[in-house]
Amino acid sequence: MGSSTRTAPAPAPPRAPARARRRGRGVGRQNVAGLLFVAPFTLLLIAFLLLPLAYAFKISLYRSTLIGGDVFAGFENYRTAFHDHEFTSGVLRVLVFGLVQTPVMVALALLAALLLDAATSRFSRLFRLAAFVPYAVPAVIGTLMWGFLYSPNTGPFGIDFLAQHTVLASLGNVVTWQWAGYNMIVLYAALQGVPREVYEAARIDGAGVVQVALRVKVPMVSAAIVLVSVFTIIGTLQFFVEPLILQPLNPGTITRSYTPNIYAFNQAFTYQQYNYSAAISFMLGAVVFVGSYLFLFATRKRSALR
Amino acid sequence: MSALPVRVRNAALVACAALGIAATGCSSSASNDAAKSAEGVVHIKVWAWYPEFQGVVDVFNRTHKNIQIDWTNAGAGTDEYTKIQTALKAGKGAPDVVMIEFQELPTINLTKHLVDMGQYGANAIKGDFVDWAWSQVSDGDKVYAIPVDAGPMALLYRKDIFDKYQLKVPTTWDEFRTEAQKLKAASPGSFMTDFGANDAGFMMGLMQQAGSRPYTYSASNLPNIGVNVNNDGAKKAMTYWQGMVADKLADTTGYGTTDFYNGLTTGKYATYIAAGWGPGYLSSVAKTTSGKWRAAPLPQWTAGGTVQADWGGSSFAVTDQSQHPKEATQVAMEIFGSAQEPWKIGIDKAFLFPTAKPILTWDYFVNKEYEFFGGQKVNTVFVPAANGAGTFDWTPFNDFAANQITTAIGQAVQKKASFTDALDTVQRNVTDYAGKQGFKLQ
Repeated sequence: MGSSTRTAPAPAPPRAPARARRRGRGVGRQNVAGLLFVAPFTLLLIAFLLLPLAYAFKISLYRSTLIGGDVFAGFENYRTAFHDHEFTSGVLRVLVFGLVQTPVMVALALLAALLLDAATSRFSRLFRLAAFVPYAVPAVIGTLMWGFLYSPNTGPFGIDFLAQHTVLASLGNVVTWQWAGYNMIVLYAALQGVPREVYEAARIDGAGVVQVALRVKVPMVSAAIVLVSVFTIIGTLQFFVEPLILQPLNPGTITRSYTPNIYAFNQAFTYQQYNYSAAISFMLGAVVFVGSYLFLFATRKRSALR
Repeated sequence: MSALPVRVRNAALVACAALGIAATGCSSSASNDAAKSAEGVVHIKVWAWYPEFQGVVDVFNRTHKNIQIDWTNAGAGTDEYTKIQTALKAGKGAPDVVMIEFQELPTINLTKHLVDMGQYGANAIKGDFVDWAWSQVSDGDKVYAIPVDAGPMALLYRKDIFDKYQLKVPTTWDEFRTEAQKLKAASPGSFMTDFGANDAGFMMGLMQQAGSRPYTYSASNLPNIGVNVNNDGAKKAMTYWQGMVADKLADTTGYGTTDFYNGLTTGKYATYIAAGWGPGYLSSVAKTTSGKWRAAPLPQWTAGGTVQADWGGSSFAVTDQSQHPKEATQVAMEIFGSAQEPWKIGIDKAFLFPTAKPILTWDYFVNKEYEFFGGQKVNTVFVPAANGAGTFDWTPFNDFAANQITTAIGQAVQKKASFTDALDTVQRNVTDYAGKQGFKLQ
């Protein structure tokens, strides 16, 4: 899960027009001011997201062969991908991975955040920093370090962590190490925003520390938990950097189609199948969208994102 | 809540990624515009990843007044190919001259973005190179690249380990196995060698020696291609190595990994089946073992045979994005060429194995004593190996074909499955792919 794979949440609507309206200025000026405020973001959005997306969609509708050149093919690339065992097994793999990884990650981050929130000592500040440090280490460096640790020769364990049955769990471990601290900070910040009076009231009503944590704190930060979960789901579905870096260590287990993102990358930049790669990317995008939406739908009561 | 910093950070990352792509896409177009400076000096942009290459560039720039090389290391192997393919596809961003390995040349040439250097006089130096190397880069009078170095294969072995366990230097693969068993019995933690299933070139070399010619292809014969990956020679070699791996006589650590370097340094591996560039590579990754290694010819399938194999080798091609193809051709021809001054750096510092005959017979090269090999004249082993390597065709979709081999054999190693079945899988996948790509299978 690379840092660049995280998708920014939809930006809050600019407040400028509302403020202008309150001041009772003319309609024309309101609009101009509003447009000016939105313009930088809109331009960047169009230039760096919408146009590339449209272009990628266009080339995904063509078929290119090494000998024949480009021909319009409609949705043939998509049909091919549906029946492409390498692609579908990759999708299945990241779905399974996400199903295990997301709860583990969120639970760990939440536990750490609750512990931090409960204790205020010098040690807790140190712990907060220490848990966050892995996120500051570039993903490539972090993964290389884990590659050394996982090695049966240079690592301290003498076990092959990248063998057929251990590799997915090992990759999950790298991802957890990298992102749990970051998610913890998000949850911790949310916890800090909860008014202290609520805890006091709960304590007066006879709630213990554990009860306060489970019955008061967790529900109060449920929106943040949903946010962190969605980030994690999107990240795991777009799993890329860690398997790519560890691939040379064991090409038999981490194949060139290990995750859909790696498959798309190789199709485009190793095999020059730009069209097929674009189709795969769009299908992966659809899977990510559906996955995130389903999760938000299932948690809509808690997420405050209705 | 912390949503805002997240958003800002991600936006920055996305922008960086976009700029990163844009940068590779437009970096060299600027230099193309400025290629011809005021004094009539032509600047030629070169991509290459040879070790110690700056010195070679300096020699060229010192000895050429009107042509100057601007050198960039755009990554080694696949990293560079990814960039060059993308730049060629994009129509801008490619250098004038680019380093390409033999096995990759047909793939990049298929894009029809390489300049035929024959029209700029490259055929004049044809006789300077060993025949098989020239045939790798040319097609009749069309010359798509100028050969630089090669990777004739030989056996590098640890003399101290061989002495300690009284092993005999094997001349056949049968002996290699017998000695491997002796070593295993005497020192169970050791391996005779390492079988790096992540390196297609290594496995292709081993199969080549056993008679495998998996592909029949020539750019002038498009769209025809012959695919015969699971031929008898290939199966013979892979059956042998399956046995070596199954009996734990050969380790299965990937080549180029830290574990592999570790094994070479600690004496876990008694031999290293290497190419002509191997000694230089070895002396940089296993410095502490200096003086303990020796070189011997590659073991043979039949006693007394002299069948050789090649693993790697590279060349310089000129792209059609060059504004100065004539000068670019001159750079490709003369940057190493068969001149002694650049090759001295190539031999002494970069450990390149030449394909130019004047260098292959140059006393300085042939009789150079290597301290790392206890003073042995290593090239007396490698030169005959270089002369004995036969012609060999590669596919015009080498990345795909190579990945099929490493994946299939890699999985067979992992699952302890049949290596020859893996070759059948590769054959199926490659023919399937070639058909889909519009090639006509012969």
